[in-house]
Amino acid sequence: MIVECKIDDLLELIGTEMSIAKLEETLFLLKAEVEEVKGNQIQIEINPDRQDMLSAEGIARAVKSFIGINTKPHRYEVVASGKKIVAKRGLAKIRRYISCGIVKGLESHDELIKEYMRLQEALTSTHGRNRRNASIGLYVHDDLKFPVKYYAAKPEKIEFVPLGNEESMRAREILEKHEKGQEFGYIIDKFKKWPLLVDDEDKILSLPPIINSNDLGRITVDTENIFVEVTGTHLPTVNQALNIMLTSLVERGGTIESVEVHYPDGKSVVTPSLEPTKIRLDLGEVQSLTGLDLTTRQVLECLRKMGYGGKAIGKETIEVEIPPYRVDVLHIVDVIEDVAIGYGFDKIQPTMPETMTRGKLLPATRLKNKIRDLLIGAGYQEILSYILSSPEILNDKMLRDSDLVGTLNPKSRDYSVLRNSLLPILLEFISQNQHADYPQKVFEIGDIITPDKEKETRSRQVPSVAGVIIDSEVNLTNLMNELGFLLRNLGLDEDFSFTRNTNPAFIEGRYATIEVISESIGYFGQIAPIVLENFNLSKPVIGFEIEIPTKGTWNPA
Amino acid sequence: MTKQQITEGEQRVLEEMDAISGRVSAEELSKRMGDKKERVISILNSLDQRKLVSLIIEEIPSYHLTEEGSEYTSHGLPEIRLFNAVKELHGKATMDDAVEKSGLTQRAQGIAINWARKKGWLKIGKENGDTVLETVTEDVDSDIEDLLSYLTKNSHIPENLDNVKQEALSRTLVEETTRKKFEAEITDRETVRSLISVQGGGVTHLTPSMITEGTWKEVEFRPFNVEAHPAPVFLGRKHPYAEFNDWLREILIGLGFEEWFGPYVETEFWNNDALFVPQDHVSREIQDQFRVDQPYSHGDISDNKYYKAVKSVHEDGGDTGSKGYQSTFSKEVSTRLCLRSHTTPVSMRFLHDHRLSPQKMFIIDRNFRSEKLSASHAMEFNQCEGIIMDANLTLKDLMGYITEIVESVGIKKMKFKPGQFPFTEPSIECFAKHEELGWIEVAPGGIFRPEVTAPLGIKDSVLAWGIGSGRLYMASMGISDIRDLYSKDLSWIRRNYFLR
Repeated sequence: MIVECKIDDLLELIGTEMSIAKLEETLFLLKAEVEEVKGNQIQIEINPDRQDMLSAEGIARAVKSFIGINTKPHRYEVVASGKKIVAKRGLAKIRRYISCGIVKGLESHDELIKEYMRLQEALTSTHGRNRRNASIGLYVHDDLKFPVKYYAAKPEKIEFVPLGNEESMRAREILEKHEKGQEFGYIIDKFKKWPLLVDDEDKILSLPPIINSNDLGRITVDTENIFVEVTGTHLPTVNQALNIMLTSLVERGGTIESVEVHYPDGKSVVTPSLEPTKIRLDLGEVQSLTGLDLTTRQVLECLRKMGYGGKAIGKETIEVEIPPYRVDVLHIVDVIEDVAIGYGFDKIQPTMPETMTRGKLLPATRLKNKIRDLLIGAGYQEILSYILSSPEILNDKMLRDSDLVGTLNPKSRDYSVLRNSLLPILLEFISQNQHADYPQKVFEIGDIITPDKEKETRSRQVPSVAGVIIDSEVNLTNLMNELGFLLRNLGLDEDFSFTRNTNPAFIEGRYATIEVISESIGYFGQIAPIVLENFNLSKPVIGFEIEIPTKGTWNPA
Repeated sequence: MTKQQITEGEQRVLEEMDAISGRVSAEELSKRMGDKKERVISILNSLDQRKLVSLIIEEIPSYHLTEEGSEYTSHGLPEIRLFNAVKELHGKATMDDAVEKSGLTQRAQGIAINWARKKGWLKIGKENGDTVLETVTEDVDSDIEDLLSYLTKNSHIPENLDNVKQEALSRTLVEETTRKKFEAEITDRETVRSLISVQGGGVTHLTPSMITEGTWKEVEFRPFNVEAHPAPVFLGRKHPYAEFNDWLREILIGLGFEEWFGPYVETEFWNNDALFVPQDHVSREIQDQFRVDQPYSHGDISDNKYYKAVKSVHEDGGDTGSKGYQSTFSKEVSTRLCLRSHTTPVSMRFLHDHRLSPQKMFIIDRNFRSEKLSASHAMEFNQCEGIIMDANLTLKDLMGYITEIVESVGIKKMKFKPGQFPFTEPSIECFAKHEELGWIEVAPGGIFRPEVTAPLGIKDSVLAWGIGSGRLYMASMGISDIRDLYSKDLSWIRRNYFLR
């Protein structure tokens, strides 16, 4: 995800002079990449695991620790505000969870307000899964009368002025007409009642996860105290989004206050919880994953550079404090990676590989290579095509009616199904090359796919090879000689035979199946004029296709 | 001054032309030489450009009767048949009577009236509501009839009939085709003679009998123009992209990797779940990943024990010490069919069947993403990736392997940065210095997370690496349009080759 910031603002947050090159190098080692620098604007690509770096504040926080401007772990004081949020019954299936917090003494000017909105958007689109799992609302704290109430209301009874509008709108109208309603309405429109946030005077804060009200949800340059709420369907995500939002906001100053959330089952929770999580790390684990032989001191130093707290508790063990915004840490390996990043990827010395194994090709690849060599010897040019094709090419034009494996969401009908045969693909290829020099002799070798109910993936995939020759005159005897050359050199001298057969795509009497040990493995013949017409071809064509055994041999043993 | 070079074919043509005085047609030359006319013309063209002969191309029209034209030669022109009918009916008759008498068809009737009136043979009037025809002249005859009957035997038009050619053509009774006549004549006989004599003299072909009978000792062989620049020919050849992938295979076999394979149609279980990609991850949505729905939309998972272990690491980390995703895990999502979006599920299938160290495996094959085909995006792309499983492997070893692989494909300068993939931790990205493109990301990698290996009971480290092989190929071929990887242009394929 790209984060756009102002360079002077970012450097001021970091708190030191730094060249762009140095900043770029530092970010590179911190997993982020500078995409573009234009004047005072810089675009930085953040990896999806570092949700805490989706703002200038978050990036600055990470850089500050990494380059040693900040040598303390990030701890956040939380003052209890005593304010209450009351969640009512009826939300369990709709949007069950709510976590909130307050930021007082916030710095705000026009640019900053935009910056906060961008972070809110970025967090809810990635981490919040497009607001489905979690969405964030910011409000003017001093305009609210607590307790704030969260409940499910009938859409007919909801009406307010959405943020940025002047006219009051009904809830259904917002879903139909408002840009945000159209985008996110699907999350709630399947329910009979929709989630609603109101204050103690029943003034509407927002219709989560769609839009805030213009009255209470519009932050201005005069706003010093902000109320932040996160609602959602997945509690860990809701809390993580709240933590990232609050800790980013106070990066420029201000204090965080907690609230009490009362759930209908009688439970109450104080949010946010910004206590660091503790996890134990053994030096041995660092060594076995990274190969770095580090002392506890060194590991602690690496962790500090990455914003962690921690202390040694014994000779080889460290108690690590994970800052509350590091929502990506699921396992100790995530902490160990940060030790390596803190150590510096540029300082790690690669070791020469030692694992002894035998290299080998798949038997099918060796057989395919053999076939390619033989066909090239016979004068064929190899071509490569897409696996995806169309029912027109594979079935209609070939007068076939075979079952195809198809996709639900193709971007075009031309590439909507998996090829079940290569010959039609080659006919399509030569039909696109009628201006090229003749004769044209081309082949392709690659996998074909057919439906198969018995298989785990409901499909059967095997390699196949097909070739075609197009010229003003074609000679079936030559083709048969070439196939003989091919099959004999594959060790099938005694085992192959051709059996006259019929196929509507070939001229009657000029089509045969290829049998190996009385099992049909392919076919050849002269393409029927009707099929040539279907492909818009105006010269005669002969061709063949042979299925190749995945195990690399036709030998049953 | 450069010495004129002539090819063997040119030599023969000039020799034949020298033997005949004056102009000679390409047909004649091809007959004498026993060669194709097209080849003779092409040689004459080349000689003409070098001013050794002058090639005269004349377009000769020829004329043939159309179906309609040949019908009239046997039954007569419709306007004459109509005139004669009226005349036989005493010079005046109703339209219906005249047509019946003449035996004309409905279609021919219109043509007949039109032309008879245009030529001033018949007058048309109304009497008592009937259309009445009346002859204006005594006798009629038409040059067209003469032309048609002449053309039944000939294909040119004699001068005296040239005036009616246009009418016959516009009535589509006659059609014109043109044929090119190629004639050539030597421009400067002396130069030509000196040229063929310099080359000339001696025997062209060494025959088997000359060898067995020893007569070769008595002859001189005519020198061959061995300095001629050969014309391009298109013989059998590998596709350049296939050659590139063969080369990658060769490198990986050399490093001890074993090739593996897996299906394009996958369950999301193998494509994502087994790799610890959360079930609600954006990359699994239909904007990014192809779903398969024809004829089946869901498959199944044959190893139920493994399925349960994977489900458990997603839900709460199982016994790996991970927090997991703390959300419910859906079997419906797991069994959903898709086109694999990367080759990593193949690594998982390999590990499923090979759980004992050491192992080194690679795959180079196709993957699918729901993209619209354009110069910069394709719905199919090749990946080259692999894994190394052994006891005590670390991030330093991973960097070592990637360095080896990346150096083997010819990259000299590289650097590592931390990366991120849902299935590896730590994750890295190797950037290579490309002469024109600058630093480009060429090789991602990482160590499989415990959430990925533990469900298979694997305790050793599994290092995973990949190479952006399509990008390397494009850079080495100077291709900027991604569609050229699977070009449909035979001439392009015939012209381009991969050289390491």
